[in-house]
Amino acid sequence: MSANPDNDKTGTRKLNEAKLTSLYEEYYDKIARYVYTHIGDKNEAENIAGEVFLKALESLKSYRERGIPMQAWLFRIAHNLVVDHLRKVAKRKTVSIDTVEIASDIDPVTAAEKSMEIERLTKAMDQLTQQQREVLRLRFFGELTSKETGSILRKSDGAVREMQRTAIEKLRKLLVAEQ
Amino acid sequence: MMNEFDRILDECVDRINRGEDLGTCLADYPEYAQQLQPLLQVMLETKDAYPFEPSASGKRTSRQRFNTAFEALARTREEKRPLFPWVFGWSRAWVAVAVVLLVALIGYFGLRPMFFPIGPSPQPSPEGNFVFLISDDVNAISDFQSLSISISKIGLQAEGETSQWIEFAPEVEVVNLTLLQGDKAQEIWRGDVPEGQYIKVFIYVSNVSGILEETGRSISVKLPSNKLQISKPFSVTSGSVVNFVYDVTIVEAGKSGQYILKPQVGESGADRSFEKIDG
Repeated sequence: MSANPDNDKTGTRKLNEAKLTSLYEEYYDKIARYVYTHIGDKNEAENIAGEVFLKALESLKSYRERGIPMQAWLFRIAHNLVVDHLRKVAKRKTVSIDTVEIASDIDPVTAAEKSMEIERLTKAMDQLTQQQREVLRLRFFGELTSKETGSILRKSDGAVREMQRTAIEKLRKLLVAEQ
Repeated sequence: MMNEFDRILDECVDRINRGEDLGTCLADYPEYAQQLQPLLQVMLETKDAYPFEPSASGKRTSRQRFNTAFEALARTREEKRPLFPWVFGWSRAWVAVAVVLLVALIGYFGLRPMFFPIGPSPQPSPEGNFVFLISDDVNAISDFQSLSISISKIGLQAEGETSQWIEFAPEVEVVNLTLLQGDKAQEIWRGDVPEGQYIKVFIYVSNVSGILEETGRSISVKLPSNKLQISKPFSVTSGSVVNFVYDVTIVEAGKSGQYILKPQVGESGADRSFEKIDG
């Protein structure tokens, strides 16, 4: 038992701050990609990824590692910011697959094919349940483990693994049917 | 049986995320390869459909913003920390504490120049060698109809043994940030400062007043501190004019509906390009 609880608090705070800083390099890109699959806007996805870390820094006091790793906590923050963003955008305009950006330096035929591929995939993704979509986003783009994904969705890792398989199988069927 | 397959599929997803190719994973589980292959192919197609490599510049800017917030947090914590924490444990000693504080305040103001040397205030001059401008990096500024900040003091810290500060009042005290988005910048002071290297810059923001675009209502904006200080070295040499752009930005704090004004180190400096706007 520590003699001084203030020292404990300071130690934990410093540890968490150091951990958050160390996660920046590895998780900024993953969070940006995860956000991008939700909103289809690269610049905004990068802004939100940056905002996630600022928000985490502000709320670090409230972070307690009760079974949720810090990287999973960052994705929870990202999800909340995405929801806020979509709510704000919905007031101004409708987000559709057309907003997904395609690199401008590729030739028009490839761009058209890419656009069709994205449309096909997005249509198929739309037919999954919200939770199935979120599992795939967190696993494929956030590159979180099943355990980390489970801690965000409040499910066991076994349940996430099962949901992942059923989601991919369903997605495959839908994509085959579209061809 | 299905649990076992789920576990293997999961492992392959992890391995592909780490950069392994599909074939390696299938080779490790030949008995499941036929089932695994189409599912992992779907994973690869899905990932390919959203190709996105965040830009290095965006990441760098975000990182700088994070570092600034981190420094501001540490500064705020330092400012909040009581000088003698043990004194506050004595409830009956409040009168003594008040006396100590009073003496400390007198001591601080009396001895301040010794600890934080302040040089003579430079005077504004239209032909001065130093121009101080304010700009706004675009974040949540579009949420505002107008966002005015009042700046009561500007400070520059010289490099060297004395680390002397020079402080001066801006000629233009109130700027509307909605007019200063992106590269746009407004001059708020011009004058002569001593030649040399400078390492830190601060502005003292005495008031922020924002009106939201959507509701037309005024909203209170938070500041990490009234004194917004950045470390951005620059030098003032003879025969040249330094244009220092101090960039501030307004960001929305999550879904709280609150806004925070903070300095934007990455967009500030004496080497920034800008489009000058008259206030």
